[in-house]
Amino acid sequence: MTERASLSDGAAVERVLAGDVECYGVLVERYRSRYARYAASLCGDADAAADALQEAFVRAFDSLTTCRDPNKFGSWFARILTNQCHNMRTRTRTHVALDELDVAGSDGADAQLTSGEIGNAIGKALEALTREQREAFVLKHIEGYSYAEMADVLDAEVDALKMRVYRAREIVKEQLRDFA
Amino acid sequence: MSNDNQMNADMHRILDGERAEDGDTHAQAAAAQFQNAVDAYVTGLDVPGREVDWAVMKVIRARQGKMRSFGWWSWLVQPRMVQLRPALAAAAVVAAVGLGVALRQVTLSNVPGVSSETPMVLVRFELPAPAAQAVSVVGSFNDWNPIEHQLAVSSATGLWTITLPLPSGEHQYLFVVDGEQWVPDPGAHAQVDDGFGTTNSVIVVGPRGVARS
Repeated sequence: MTERASLSDGAAVERVLAGDVECYGVLVERYRSRYARYAASLCGDADAAADALQEAFVRAFDSLTTCRDPNKFGSWFARILTNQCHNMRTRTRTHVALDELDVAGSDGADAQLTSGEIGNAIGKALEALTREQREAFVLKHIEGYSYAEMADVLDAEVDALKMRVYRAREIVKEQLRDFA
Repeated sequence: MSNDNQMNADMHRILDGERAEDGDTHAQAAAAQFQNAVDAYVTGLDVPGREVDWAVMKVIRARQGKMRSFGWWSWLVQPRMVQLRPALAAAAVVAAVGLGVALRQVTLSNVPGVSSETPMVLVRFELPAPAAQAVSVVGSFNDWNPIEHQLAVSSATGLWTITLPLPSGEHQYLFVVDGEQWVPDPGAHAQVDDGFGTTNSVIVVGPRGVARS
């Protein structure tokens, strides 16, 4: 396992395609740990994220021969995962309008909010974002990606991503102002 | 720097979320509040763990086993990397079409024998596990997905049960206890080695009546 774990993405993909399916476990562990938080943020809960991750990994395995650059398996997989997360969210949730969100939480200036409640406000504010805004916001502010990295994963122009993040951030900030 | 260039630079800084560094204390406070909220969200976020890895590999291994059992069919549909010299590529495509080989990926649902016309039979799965918090059943009938079929428990007996419509034929399955332990059915008619060091339970569903695991 140690020898497999040290393989590059490209080498692991080639070994899987050559019949060593256990090598796929290396990629699964590597990218499950890297994208678990991303999936949970997009899906809204851990159970749906686990489902999306599993489906994405199986689909990626089925389509492995279409991964044009095995050394960029991570970015390729992230695009599959992003679609799975949106599908999962569509299946399990209905869109929540911004004015329906119960995120104010405080009736007066004296209310003391826990960090958990403030964190929940972010989670609920994500519900109000569009699909494109949500994935851009999560990659930028939750995952800490650079815009160049985001462009690779989301297959979009940097300037467009900046605008999505800006708009998403304004919506989220609007929610947070209710706590002030 | 011209006014236009300055304006463009300012716009990019705003889009990048860097405007608060200009010495605007109100904006800095808002930025700090925003960052604190993001940090709180990340800290409280519940994320999937290694159970995903196990579930994925269970599916992959099961598919490989199924592929092997289909012999020539699996040879046709198994993902593989093929390298052809350009001069041979066109001839290879013509030959493949001539042989009726579809150059595409297939999943188990495309495999012969799992058609939608196969008779369905209700099968009741049971597992006595009074200490368990959750039990699901995974198998060749649900792509070894531990989330799809959750069993219900009788609080009086601790017996977990679920009844599923299954196509007639042989199915391999396991129970997943508390999302972590993949265990064979102690009441199964047969157990088989899955070829990867673990044992799967087996049920053979007939075309009529209700079978029991």
